[in-house]
Amino acid sequence: MLELVDVSYKTNEKEILSDVSMKFLPGYKYAVIGTNGAGKSTIGYVIMGLSSYKPYKGKILLNGKDITDLPVTDRAKLGITLMWQEPARFEGMTIENYLTLGGKLSVQKSEVAEAMEFVGLNPNLYLKRFVDKTLSGGERKRVELASIILLKPKYAILDEPDSGIDLMSLSIINDVVNYIAQYGGTPIIITHREEMAYSTDYGYLICAGKVLMHGKTKDVLNAFRNTCETCAHPNIPETNELRK
Amino acid sequence: MDVKREFEAIVKTAEKLGTDASNFMDKRIASIIISGNRVIGLNNIPGLKLVPTTLEDGVQVDMEIEQNTQIPFPVHVCTGYLEKKGYQRVIFNIRVKRNAKVKFTAHCVFPQAEEFTHEATSNVIVEDGAVMEYNDEHYHSDAGTIILKTTTNAVVENGGVYRNTFHLTKTRVGKLEVKMNLTLKENAVGELVSKVKASKNDEVDINEIIHLNGEKARGLAKTIVVGLDESKVNVLNEAYGNAPYSRAHISCEEITKGEKVIVATTPILKITNDLAELTHEASIGRVSEKQLETLMAKGLTEEEATELIIKGLLM
Repeated sequence: MLELVDVSYKTNEKEILSDVSMKFLPGYKYAVIGTNGAGKSTIGYVIMGLSSYKPYKGKILLNGKDITDLPVTDRAKLGITLMWQEPARFEGMTIENYLTLGGKLSVQKSEVAEAMEFVGLNPNLYLKRFVDKTLSGGERKRVELASIILLKPKYAILDEPDSGIDLMSLSIINDVVNYIAQYGGTPIIITHREEMAYSTDYGYLICAGKVLMHGKTKDVLNAFRNTCETCAHPNIPETNELRK
Repeated sequence: MDVKREFEAIVKTAEKLGTDASNFMDKRIASIIISGNRVIGLNNIPGLKLVPTTLEDGVQVDMEIEQNTQIPFPVHVCTGYLEKKGYQRVIFNIRVKRNAKVKFTAHCVFPQAEEFTHEATSNVIVEDGAVMEYNDEHYHSDAGTIILKTTTNAVVENGGVYRNTFHLTKTRVGKLEVKMNLTLKENAVGELVSKVKASKNDEVDINEIIHLNGEKARGLAKTIVVGLDESKVNVLNEAYGNAPYSRAHISCEEITKGEKVIVATTPILKITNDLAELTHEASIGRVSEKQLETLMAKGLTEEEATELIIKGLLM
């Protein structure tokens, strides 16, 4: 189980996350829902342990072990990974090299090809292409999804996986999310779009860096729809209906 | 050393750069192999003439591609020097005649060199509608004491296309001066790309210059340098827009790793015709944190991630 216990994070003296507590159980699909600026992505970055995202308070536990101070690589080796909302581009690096981490990931060529096909990219056409700006936003995200398939992480944080992509890709994301859950992994989807969260089991509703509620995704989405989406003061907790 | 052994030594080193040695035996492929001031291998094919002249301290080669000729395989040019000390000068005068098409694969191999200076001058004329590509790759010794000066003066006439790449990424650099001076006439297209990895106390000076002298000429000057340890790198890229609707972009990316690295880049853009358009982009610094953390989030260490990113950049 991956757990956040009273995690608080601030930058430039501004509180971004306040006493965030969350639990992610193996094999279930989770959605972290909230409006833009709620702090959803920051939760992902803090879990991954990115260098500028060290909490000043609280703990991150993986199967009871405190990983709060572990560097990114160590967390990845424990089975946590992150797909950025806008994945980085790499000049001169082929998709094949990227997916196999320069040959360091022990996967067969056939597995790489299968992962590419899974995300709707023809391996014969794409594997020698570069992970640079010649790929469209949608293609780049599909490559990232293929990478997750090959990595088989225990916890895959997908930050706004649907942003900037077409409808076709949306169903591919759902397929990947289901695939992760099928092998016993835990997909954690960070999103502000209901259609992206629908297929998950449980959700967390975030507002102004705090967990407003959590429970079955259906209930969380209802609250999001009826409260956050109509809120005239997004991410100002004092005026938020649920908080009152 | 006899010619046979010299030939074998040079070709063997060129193989380390990815050259298929059998190309030098293939009669369908034009090639020239220079060792010191001697030509130890030469193969001409129909449509292309390589005429070498021995100089006191090197070799001059006049290369001419007949008009309307498409050379089917890349021309292999291999320049080597197998001694530890010395000086070598090569002069390549290349003329690609109207509507001809040719690609060169050049290797410069100095595997033993210690106190050695290599000066290369290329004078290139790409005539109307012709296409020329010149890919130059270097293999030096690890002594880091080689001095390499390479100058290219290229004129691309109306509608011609010229691409030049310079790679020194697999071995120590020593002291390097690259100067590329490209003049583009009407509708001509030119691309200059330099990729260098400098380490220890290597010194790199790169100057790429594009003159847009013809209407609708288009140029790109791109430099990627990785500066490690205590290397010194200085890049000066220039573009001059002298004709209407001409465009050029200059780009310099310098990745640094090492507390004593000194790296500088200077772009110069000058327009003498207000319908010309020039742009530039430059970046200096460590590998982007987002790139690093993207790969680290997949399990690579920071060192492994840096290495993979740099390898890609220098490809």
